[in-house]
Amino acid sequence: MNTYLTTSFNLDKKLENYPAIIRKWKLYRLVNKCKNISDRRHPAFEQNRAMKWLGYLGAILWACYLIFFGVLIGTLDNGSIEIFDYVNGGLIFFLALDFITRLLLVDTPAQEVKPFRLLNISSKFLINIFLIRRTTTLFNTLWLFFFFPFGLFSTVKYYGLTGLFSYCIVLWMIFIVNGYWYLIWRTLLNKNFMYIIIPLLMYTALIYIGVFDDKYTRMILGAEHTQPLFWMFLWFCRWALEINPLAYIIPVTVGIVLYFVNYKIQYASIYREIAEVQESKVKSREMALLNRFGVVGEYIKLDIKSIMRNKVIRQSFISGLTCTIILTLCSALTPIYDNNLFMKSYISMYCYCALAAITLTNVMCPEGNYIDCLMSRKESVLALLKAKYYFNLVMMIIPFSIFMISVVCGKSTIIESLGCLLFTAGLVLPGLLQMAVYNKTTQPLNVKLLKTGGNSKTQIIISMLALFGPMIIMYVLNLLFEEWAPWMMGGMGLVGILLEPIWLRNIYNRFMERRYSNMDGFRNTRNF
Amino acid sequence: MKIELTDIKKSFGDKVALNIDSYEVNDGEVIGLVGNNGAGKTTMFRVILDLIKPESGVALLDGINPAVSEEWKEYTGAYVDSGFLIDYLTPEEYFSLIAKITNMTAEELENRLHSFKGFMNDEVLGQNTLIRNLSMGNKQKVGIIAAMLTRPKLLILDEPFNFLDPTSQLLIKQIIEKYNQDTGATIIISSHNLTHTIDICTRVTLLEHGRIIKDYDKTTHKDIISEIENYFIENMKKDE
Repeated sequence: MNTYLTTSFNLDKKLENYPAIIRKWKLYRLVNKCKNISDRRHPAFEQNRAMKWLGYLGAILWACYLIFFGVLIGTLDNGSIEIFDYVNGGLIFFLALDFITRLLLVDTPAQEVKPFRLLNISSKFLINIFLIRRTTTLFNTLWLFFFFPFGLFSTVKYYGLTGLFSYCIVLWMIFIVNGYWYLIWRTLLNKNFMYIIIPLLMYTALIYIGVFDDKYTRMILGAEHTQPLFWMFLWFCRWALEINPLAYIIPVTVGIVLYFVNYKIQYASIYREIAEVQESKVKSREMALLNRFGVVGEYIKLDIKSIMRNKVIRQSFISGLTCTIILTLCSALTPIYDNNLFMKSYISMYCYCALAAITLTNVMCPEGNYIDCLMSRKESVLALLKAKYYFNLVMMIIPFSIFMISVVCGKSTIIESLGCLLFTAGLVLPGLLQMAVYNKTTQPLNVKLLKTGGNSKTQIIISMLALFGPMIIMYVLNLLFEEWAPWMMGGMGLVGILLEPIWLRNIYNRFMERRYSNMDGFRNTRNF
Repeated sequence: MKIELTDIKKSFGDKVALNIDSYEVNDGEVIGLVGNNGAGKTTMFRVILDLIKPESGVALLDGINPAVSEEWKEYTGAYVDSGFLIDYLTPEEYFSLIAKITNMTAEELENRLHSFKGFMNDEVLGQNTLIRNLSMGNKQKVGIIAAMLTRPKLLILDEPFNFLDPTSQLLIKQIIEKYNQDTGATIIISSHNLTHTIDICTRVTLLEHGRIIKDYDKTTHKDIISEIENYFIENMKKDE
């Protein structure tokens, strides 16, 4: 961010002769320009061309997918109810997807104000600028890649091209409103991680009660009033197609209200975001149980303390754990995957490695903050990797315990569960730990403003191989051995576990071969 | 411990950070590296500690190349910057971690920490505070103590007087001098504080633009501070 501060330093001297309105417009343009430069010159992005190009490619592919589905669905004949009514009634699905996609946008305006704080620009004005930027961002037009071709093939024959344009404009406004709601939630999430459940509950409830029609929704809403949200969005989109002023007034009104709520929340959050006094006293726990494991035990303690005391690491751990528990509960207690043995064991494997998949793909990135400390002690990185492996092995007890419920219920066998556990421990975790050789971007430990450059080409390939490679092995095993497959998986996993000293040493040796380049990367991306 | 640097070259882009034909540090010497910002002091430390790879040349620690063996790490202690601190630990936890991974007993750790009691001034231990929440001065103290905790034969400290209050600066000077007398360890420090550096060092090396400009031995040069100051004054005049 500092890269562009120099360009905007003498703002008032240059602008003081202009009328207030022009001055504000010029300031807006200048801050906007600074933000764009900041994004382009971010160290993590500059360092990582592979990720950048992959990002562009991903965006193009997304756009193509959306256009394809737009055309495909737009040309469907849905019988009694028009296809556009059907899709419009389910708009809440798109809003939920849009909300999830926005998780990629991590900064809040309250955080964006930070680099401008010492300049002679009021924080209120800056908050307004950053909120307006959220309105004009191209991200809000993402779903129009679907809705425009969809509308072109399904609505034009009834409402004409003007109707289609009106429809697109209204949808664009709806997604802007959704963006403002996301922003409120994202800011609250920084205050307390428990806010994560609000959108989960809200979208689940809205989709189920508002769109589905079954005996439970009939019980809740009464038989006459089911699918209220479906009908509401259906009529709303018809108004948009008919160019009814109400279709404009409603999103504009909701948008203005959310803008001001956002403005208040963002302004109130500035000091918390940039100058929160951290909890200064901590309780030091001995964790005496781990003392018997020597140096590796010390590094396990270090890992546990990192999770407990570093916000970013804690959030990633909680996300992984939540994923593990939800996935395991679904797999163990519901009949979703019961019909297909391959899918059943494949999903079981993911239950065991969900946590590791989230935490180990970034292995060594948090350690980038103190890499010099580790590198100045003999083989400390080897002990650290061993500690991470053992810690993830122990964490597998959680999905294993949940699977035991389904074993007790007779839904699966202990061999199936054990086979997946050993397979993950002996094959998948070693694969994920390979990332220690290639990761070289320091992950901030405790900051709210989290913006990482993503992974390099090699990192992407390695993590894909680690996660999808086992899928092929499992498929072949299931094909060849059918009910004996869990035994084979368990056997292969056991071999992997027993060979741990060899493959871990191999990872360490390769890490040491690349150490200069990795250390350089860690230092260059530290504290940005 | 004897240190030998031969034909060391290291550049960052177009800028030559280090260009040393030959440089030797004998066992038990206390070396002070002085020079302006960008002179190559920290780069030299990083090369010796195998934290960066020079484009050419070799550094030997008692004949061992740090790039091919890790044995030297057992008898080397260093504090260069905050990358040496695990800042989400309390100072006690950090010292304890270092003690355990270097096979020190709890009693040894306690005794060694006791010898730094005055330097810590009741502001480091017993605070239940994470290192990241300490003041810059106290962070510096934690880093220096951690480097000296294992009683290394080679001690490297980059700018040890930075951030320290006047009393702590005087104390660290005494600690370094006493440590050298007690253990016979080789010590290399870098500093912009010429007075402190010359006070405690047996040899002072002046670096500029990655090159060794002059090597002053205290036994042969009586007024090192004036000679170094004159060098900088003349350089300033040239620039003007």
